[in-house]
Amino acid sequence: MERLRHFATNVLAMAYREGSVMRHDKAFIAAVAVQPIVMLLLFGGALSNEPANVPWAVLDQSQSAGARRLVEEIGATGYFLAPQRVASYEDGRALLARGAAVALVVIPHDFQRDTFRSRPQIQLLLDGADPLTAARIGGTIGQVARKFDPDLRSVAARSADRPAVANGSAGLQTRPRFWFNPTLRDRNFFLAALGGMLLTNLCFSVSSIGLVGERESGTYEATLALPTSPLEIVLGKLLPYVGVCYVVLVIAIVGAGTLFGVWPKGSWLAIGVLTLPFVFASLSVGVLISTLVHTSAQAVFLTVFVILPSVVLSGVMFPYQLMPHGVRAIGAILPLRWYQIGLRSLVLRGGDFGDVWVPLVALCLQFTVLMALVRWRMKPRLG
Amino acid sequence: MKVRRLRTLMVREVRATLRDPFTVISLIAVPLVALLAFSSILATNVEHMRLGVHDASRSALSRRLLSDVAASGAFDPSPYATREALEAALVAGEISAALVLPPDLQDALAQRAGAAPPEVQVLYDGAETVLAGNADAFLRSILAASGARISVRELSSRATRLGELRSPAARAGVDVVTQALFNPQLLGRPFMVAGTFGFVLSFVTVLITAVSIVNERLSGTFDQLQLTPATTVEILLGKLLPLGAVFSLDVLLMVVVAGLVLGVWPAGSVLFFLLVATVYVSMSLSLGLIFSATSATAAEAVQKTVLFSVPLVQLSGFAFPIRNMPMPVQWLAELLPATHFIRVARAIYLRGAGPFELWSELLFLGAFGAALIALAVRTLERRT
Repeated sequence: MERLRHFATNVLAMAYREGSVMRHDKAFIAAVAVQPIVMLLLFGGALSNEPANVPWAVLDQSQSAGARRLVEEIGATGYFLAPQRVASYEDGRALLARGAAVALVVIPHDFQRDTFRSRPQIQLLLDGADPLTAARIGGTIGQVARKFDPDLRSVAARSADRPAVANGSAGLQTRPRFWFNPTLRDRNFFLAALGGMLLTNLCFSVSSIGLVGERESGTYEATLALPTSPLEIVLGKLLPYVGVCYVVLVIAIVGAGTLFGVWPKGSWLAIGVLTLPFVFASLSVGVLISTLVHTSAQAVFLTVFVILPSVVLSGVMFPYQLMPHGVRAIGAILPLRWYQIGLRSLVLRGGDFGDVWVPLVALCLQFTVLMALVRWRMKPRLG
Repeated sequence: MKVRRLRTLMVREVRATLRDPFTVISLIAVPLVALLAFSSILATNVEHMRLGVHDASRSALSRRLLSDVAASGAFDPSPYATREALEAALVAGEISAALVLPPDLQDALAQRAGAAPPEVQVLYDGAETVLAGNADAFLRSILAASGARISVRELSSRATRLGELRSPAARAGVDVVTQALFNPQLLGRPFMVAGTFGFVLSFVTVLITAVSIVNERLSGTFDQLQLTPATTVEILLGKLLPLGAVFSLDVLLMVVVAGLVLGVWPAGSVLFFLLVATVYVSMSLSLGLIFSATSATAAEAVQKTVLFSVPLVQLSGFAFPIRNMPMPVQWLAELLPATHFIRVARAIYLRGAGPFELWSELLFLGAFGAALIALAVRTLERRT
């Protein structure tokens, strides 16, 4: 009991010292305030996978009313710029090769004739150099074409006696519905996990750079001379940052809500609880980094290159479900993987504690393992 | 400027660089890790995705439909007895897509003449936008193909019965024959590999250059060198040229690893690509020089570079296409050299483009490079 109280007072004393140092660090405060705003604007307003302003070209060999209507209908989906007319197949391919068009729609000579005899066909050439856009655009044009009714007269006839066949020949009508995000906006996907990105950046860097800085300036040795153990020093030093993390998280959530209307649908309490083991685990990663390097420049360097794979492989920006199995397994080691799973469920799907117990347990486990590693690496060493 | 002095300085720099294990590791490990990590993150397809199925129809038709879905390899259907169980699984994130087959599926198709086509409901977890988008495209085409096969069979049996040769319904719709040029399977890998060159050369190299120069200043060796007959320009060239050579070798290493490990070779000329990359390296060096000149400590130089480079890389179209951004952001992105280099790298890697197709981009890169080098030289002149 006595030892526990001793431990607690030591940690709190360290925390008080770190807090008062932090309060005077203007650069740190500026970074904490600016980063959430930059990331909010970047992910809320600028970055997106949704195709927009897509340049495309049309080779209309049929020159018929039906062909013109098809082109109009494709353009009306809203993804495209005005179509560029090309006179020959070669011209169209040259546009694709230069990257000046993503798609080339070829409407053959007998398009109009085929609408009376059989099913008309068009050809679609896509620029595979931009695979995600090409796939989306291919899907969109395919969808428009499937629904397209080339025979204008039959529309009137059909709407009179058979109202519902418009979606016709596929034989099955599919009605897709996107839950939790009906317009399938990338913004919601990013903003839901924005807190995870910000806290990863913050936790990794403050703990690694802070500890190395202390070693560099010699204050770590000075503190070691006090009746405190290395573990107490590290814990006390990191405690104030837990508070900072919650402040950043609130900025991120409120910012996403007020600026872009993405408010958490689930339990705020669960978000708060889930964040705690994540912050501790991420801070421990930073501590581990600090034990591997000698100078602050190296610390920043290494931190950046740990943050990068974390962000990329965790699934915050790209769905981890689509990655190959080995890569997916590597991503599962990262705290951010589990935090973003939990966060998305709480923010977008309106989940509660029952929906996030797996990430919660995973994060606690990761924290325990990391703490053991830190204790092993943090033997008091000088020089 | 004397060639002999410059050579001595360069030999010194190469030795110093190779002796520092941290720099050597970051020169080799960081590009390779970036290459391997980034290459696998973008996918336009889905594979073995769990698909919740609530089959209220329980008919021969629904089983045929489900076996078609399973046969594609994109989805693994797993049955749910009630619609509530299906929806709960979607909320919990157990499944990202769900298929609901209505009880009257078979009937709706059997009494086809003029009636509404049977409707299948598909639910997606919109929280995972890319996943839902990819799955939607795949599932739609599978269902359309399968539905068409089924209905053709039903219709042809009916047609022979009724003596009706062509159903009016079969006339709606246009077939699309799609062909993706340059990357027929729409793989994400070559796209990301080509972009990773832009990432490494706009970020890692700038960082290493800045740190290396600041460290030289801090440790006092820069002042020592200035006591020798060597001029400032010689000292800096003696630093930058070896670094540039090392970075160019790094590019070569990445090209080889991407080719051998990931199977992605440039469609265009490797030599041309290396040439363009070398030009771009000179821009990274100038940028590193500018950052180092304006920073007091190495940590400050690193922080400055990181703060500058992260949004730069995000806006350069490395992961998200520039044309999807709002207009003002697009203008900003067009001003970044990384944007143009990544565009050139992708054009060479995927479309096999040569200097003639890319002249405008190359012109911009060249002009920007000249401006950066001039700026770097001026920064130096002010300092010395």
